Amino acid sequence: MKSSSLCKPWEHRLSRRQVLGGMAGAAAAGLGLGSLAQPLLAQELKKQQKQVIFVWLDGGLSQLESWDPKPGTQFGGPFRAIPTSVPGLHISELMPQMAKRMHHMALVRSLCTKDNSHSAGVARIQRGDPKNRGVTYPYFGSAVAKLLGAGDSGLPPYIWVKPGGGGFIDKDAGFLGAKYGALALGDGKPPENLLRHPSLSQRDDEERNALRRMINERYARNRRPQSNEANSYVYDMASALMQRMDLFDESKVPDSDWDRYGRTEFGRHMLIGRRFAEAGVTFVKINSYGWDTHGDNFNGHLSLVPKVDQALAAMVDDLIDRGMWDNTLLIMMSEFGRTPRINGHIGRDHWPEAWSVVMGGTGLKEGAVIGKTNEQGTWVEGDEHDIGHMFHTWFRALGIDPHRVEYDNAGQPLPIAHDDCHEIQEVLA
Amino acid sequence: MPGPLTRIRAASPSLVPWGWLTALAVVIAAMTPGFSRAESPLHERIDAAVEAALPQYLPEGVTPDQVLKLADDETFIRRLYLDITGVVPSADEVRAFLADQAPDKRAKLIDRLLASEAYPRRMRELFNVMLMERRGSSPEWNKYLEDSFAANKPWDQLAREILAGEPGEDDSRLGVDFWYTKRLENYGQNPVDYDALARDVGRLFFGVDLQCANCHNHLFIDDYKQPDYKGLFLLVSGTANFKDGNRTRLIEKPLTAKLEFSSVFENVPMAIGPKVPGLQEVSIPEFPKGEEYAVPPDPKKKVPGVPKFSPRRVLAEQAPESPNFRLNAANRLWWTVMGRGLVEPLDLSHSDNPPSHPELLALLATELAAHDYDIRWFLRELLLSKTYQRVGTVPEGVTIPPESFAVAQEKPLSAEQLTWSVLRATGNLAAVPGGEAVKLPALTQAIAAKPAGEAKPQPLPKLTVLQQKFEAAFANPAMEPEVEFKPSVKAALFLSNDDSILTLLEPRPGNLTERLMAAPDGAAVAEEVYLSVLGRRPSQDEQATVAEYLAQRADDRLQAVKNLAWALLASTEFCLNH
Repeated sequence: MKSSSLCKPWEHRLSRRQVLGGMAGAAAAGLGLGSLAQPLLAQELKKQQKQVIFVWLDGGLSQLESWDPKPGTQFGGPFRAIPTSVPGLHISELMPQMAKRMHHMALVRSLCTKDNSHSAGVARIQRGDPKNRGVTYPYFGSAVAKLLGAGDSGLPPYIWVKPGGGGFIDKDAGFLGAKYGALALGDGKPPENLLRHPSLSQRDDEERNALRRMINERYARNRRPQSNEANSYVYDMASALMQRMDLFDESKVPDSDWDRYGRTEFGRHMLIGRRFAEAGVTFVKINSYGWDTHGDNFNGHLSLVPKVDQALAAMVDDLIDRGMWDNTLLIMMSEFGRTPRINGHIGRDHWPEAWSVVMGGTGLKEGAVIGKTNEQGTWVEGDEHDIGHMFHTWFRALGIDPHRVEYDNAGQPLPIAHDDCHEIQEVLA
Repeated sequence: MPGPLTRIRAASPSLVPWGWLTALAVVIAAMTPGFSRAESPLHERIDAAVEAALPQYLPEGVTPDQVLKLADDETFIRRLYLDITGVVPSADEVRAFLADQAPDKRAKLIDRLLASEAYPRRMRELFNVMLMERRGSSPEWNKYLEDSFAANKPWDQLAREILAGEPGEDDSRLGVDFWYTKRLENYGQNPVDYDALARDVGRLFFGVDLQCANCHNHLFIDDYKQPDYKGLFLLVSGTANFKDGNRTRLIEKPLTAKLEFSSVFENVPMAIGPKVPGLQEVSIPEFPKGEEYAVPPDPKKKVPGVPKFSPRRVLAEQAPESPNFRLNAANRLWWTVMGRGLVEPLDLSHSDNPPSHPELLALLATELAAHDYDIRWFLRELLLSKTYQRVGTVPEGVTIPPESFAVAQEKPLSAEQLTWSVLRATGNLAAVPGGEAVKLPALTQAIAAKPAGEAKPQPLPKLTVLQQKFEAAFANPAMEPEVEFKPSVKAALFLSNDDSILTLLEPRPGNLTERLMAAPDGAAVAEEVYLSVLGRRPSQDEQATVAEYLAQRADDRLQAVKNLAWALLASTEFCLNH
């Protein structure tokens, strides 16, 4: 969380203290890690082991070439719409696999968000656009990591599979603090120094850590516990990760999985993501880049969409087969949709005004289609939904009441979702 | 003759939290005799103030005597070494200190370390992190800082030079402008963030973060007014970087009019000239058009001019007159060795966030100013205090809030302190390429000679490489104050598996692992490794555990001692100054 032009949490803490007339102990922020107002919640939810798989198509998936086709209209483009397993629902012919599985999914076609640029949009959408409270809000992954906890897997709660480089991405966590940042697996590869050093055996590693714990225990005696807890936490997390090198070993993946997810970069990353979800990671984000099709939109989507269609369908199948569907929230989206108007480069530009998001699992209403756009796909007809509504809906699906649960940022109470928004009831079964 | 306090008040600024300063004269008069006697040394008055305030922090039934305990010699020497030289003491230094029977050995060690060549290096590292907040550094800036601390340059002079940012005609202060030039760099297409620059002047030199008063009076802090912010902004907003050949220097454009603004809440036009926090607004001199420059710009050669009136120079000249400047200096220097500010956070001084010990901070500020901002003298007084030398533990079941200063605070080791300490603890500092020249306190000359020819482990990484790796693993992200202990999985993995760490544990002539391999028994191994890494002798339990572990791994003693040394390096005890 770098210093930004925003106010700092303790200023609000002081203000609150004034308001409440000197509430003692509000400042007991420990390590500066934000905490929950209701500490029992994470424990309560842990029993249910809710998880999230969040697929992010960076740059902007065209709703017209995917979930909301308008064939034969002014802006419809060259692709046809095909019927799906939900009677009356048609999606783009570029998604034949998902078309067979729409009876599992919930589709919202009435997204109307605000930010037209990538830099603002990616952050605003992934933070759920909480109103500016003078703090940097966490991305959805960090928020869920905080609200649901790490579970019993011993693995970090927020794993991010992405092309390019990896590392520990603190900035996603905002005011929650680095602990809730993402562990990014660049191209699915393990983070630096994850491999046990070649000079060490498993036994050595266990012994040296046992010795470390012994020394720490003595040190922590008669001291405030925070420092040692924080330091022990990161070593335990490091050890837990080192123990799961098997998750990075792709030689164990059966051929049939490769075939179903597709032997593409995205298919491979989705497969890695599924393996981490299976291992119990609370929040898995999978990124795909290259969706900003200002030029040659149709060839671009012709190449990109079927790969996503195949891998997403395989993910749905696997989550259902493995009995994970009821407890896993699967979401696929971008920072905005694309303009109905086709520009001079046969491309589509940024269009936050009317676009779609697909999701499923965690008991969301199967086969639901919420909202619609007008005949030409230019605007939403009827109720519009901003990202705040989606956050309310997702938190509800995860068993978290956004009207009841709030963050406690060093004494400053903060809503977990935009206070002016509400959940979309039609999606929640 | 007016006392120092009256001198402070005379400045009559708007920002000083007057509530507690006015109560102060009364408080001082009512204080314990030791406190009010002006002739007693500052360190005694510090202890008297902390002890006088203690009852309010004590849980019921707990007496001061149960809590106020001096740390043992082992704890003291490690704490002092880390604070003043930035590195843990060697095992031999700890042994020598423990054996020393002189009653004044602590005071002597304080003086020796403050006079050592390691002191200016440590101060340079500390102040670079504090002032640049991990934006980076330059060799010239480093040299400027280190030379300044070596010469014990008074804080007001150092601050003035940095705030003026003028390297001098003869480059006598080369690097001094880095504080500005780094902040005035362009990143990509982003404009220079003058608000952030103004904010940092306020935060770092005056202890006030006025950012929230940019668009309106601060909503919750009555002392922070929008005109304060705008006046501060005007002091630096005319300054820019200018590429002069391959060198960057600061230029300033003439300021001819007040800054007009209004609150986002009320559309009432206001205007203000340059204003140093805590002082009055400065009037802008009027010059006939075209005569604003002392050195006119040369449009042909594209050389900017030098204006006659320089708000930045006003800032540099007036800064020490501000009470906020004094309070900030005292508070930050206190923080460097005490691990927590009397005002917390360090940059949020105002009436509704009073110091934990108002009278003490006022005393420190006036004494620091009265001693011409002599940093070394001031630190020496802090270090001599019992408050600095307290234990870091509390009696079982007792909780004492940190702001009581009844118990020593934990201070996270910076990336720099960790680099030096890991190298010294493992006995490799002198053998690392580039490490020979590192200035350490005198006693350490005893460090082993260069490796002889026979057994050749892989070459040690260069010091500069190690420094980069440690900074990448342990330092904060840029532009954030580095004040909290923030362990990370990244750092844990680095210390666990990085080649550059584990190679330090390979036996080399004279290093820790070799000494441990030569130790006759488990007790000797335990003593050597605990003294070298943690600066203390092992407890009996710990000695027994070490002996037991070595017996268990008798098949591979080398690996066992390496595992043991690593466990100590990775411990919470090692990565904190406690």
